[in-house]
Amino acid sequence: MPSSLSNLRALGAAIILLFAFAYPAAAQLSFRPTAEAVQEDQLLNALQRGDKITGRITIPDTRASSLIQPAGRDWRDFQRSRLPIIGGVAIIGMVALLAIFLMVRGRIRVDHGFSGAKILRFAGFERFIHWLTASCFIVLALSGLNISFGRILILPLFGPEVFATMSVYAKFAHNYLAFPFMLGLVIMFLIWIKDNIPGKLDLEWIKQGGGILSAGKHPPAKRFNAGQKGIFWIVIIGGALMSVSGWFLIFPYLAATVTVLQFWTVIHAVIAMLFIAAMLAHIYIGSIGMEGAFDAMGTGEVDLNWAKEHHSLWVEEEQAKAHGPSDSTPRAVPAE
Amino acid sequence: MKVFVAAVAFAVVAAVGVAMVLNSIQEPSSVAFTTSGARVSDPGHNLIGSG
Repeated sequence: MPSSLSNLRALGAAIILLFAFAYPAAAQLSFRPTAEAVQEDQLLNALQRGDKITGRITIPDTRASSLIQPAGRDWRDFQRSRLPIIGGVAIIGMVALLAIFLMVRGRIRVDHGFSGAKILRFAGFERFIHWLTASCFIVLALSGLNISFGRILILPLFGPEVFATMSVYAKFAHNYLAFPFMLGLVIMFLIWIKDNIPGKLDLEWIKQGGGILSAGKHPPAKRFNAGQKGIFWIVIIGGALMSVSGWFLIFPYLAATVTVLQFWTVIHAVIAMLFIAAMLAHIYIGSIGMEGAFDAMGTGEVDLNWAKEHHSLWVEEEQAKAHGPSDSTPRAVPAE
Repeated sequence: MKVFVAAVAFAVVAAVGVAMVLNSIQEPSSVAFTTSGARVSDPGHNLIGSG
């Protein structure tokens, strides 16, 4: 009997102990989802930039194992908020500056008037490469701007169907015209690099503001003045950055990680905005901004007085060549 | 003007040529990601598939 009483006490104690341990466990189980949600939030906040939560996958593309990458939110915020501001300030700011410059300075005229004599400035092949690169650039710029601003500016005007169809074709044009653009870039670099090496003469040209700030002042320049050299290097360096970053965008599997891909998209977008702004200045000075300048890429021949005012040393070199014994073909010919 | 037209024409021809070359090289996801251990079905024109 004492033995059975003892067994009963032991059983009772065991039951009490069981409840004592089981109750907290049950209570913990009922709060687990909330507790895990808190932990997940803490985990996300604790992740450093570039870190990510990965899972286990069986397909060959290992990058697909990235489940959560908090840095992606920063990248998305940049694309949607800061990038349009950078682009807007750069492009609208440049247009405003050029408009002010035109109003204040007016068109840059040929001080001595057109002479009627012409001098060959750019050969047919040079103009071909210029227009190849330029025409591609214009389509690339417009289709690229559509990605950044189309949703704000074009979508409300034409509706989603038109905007979507237009954007798809714009993207095709952007992807494929990038290749002739890159070809043009390489050839431009090769044919014009020798005339675009910066020198002491360029410092003097810059000191005098290129002679474009006031009439009658024309600092001496060879084939390309410091301003044109600046445009050349903006095109080459900017174009190279656009090409490399664009290559990663067309072939995203080349990037080692998603972070690398995001980096190149930011480079592509920011350089594009600055590049477009710089090209607006180039287009302005080559067309309405300077009298007689468009002929250089239009017909290839410029007026001799224009050439003497803006590229005096180059004219001397060309005339020396024309009258030299090694070259019997005159480069400056009177207009008919 | 002739040079400009020739340059634009060349750009278009080059872009079409590049498009044809790239499209001939590019594989659909169902081919590219199919392995001996996993077969990925053709998603059709919709990434989600026909369901």
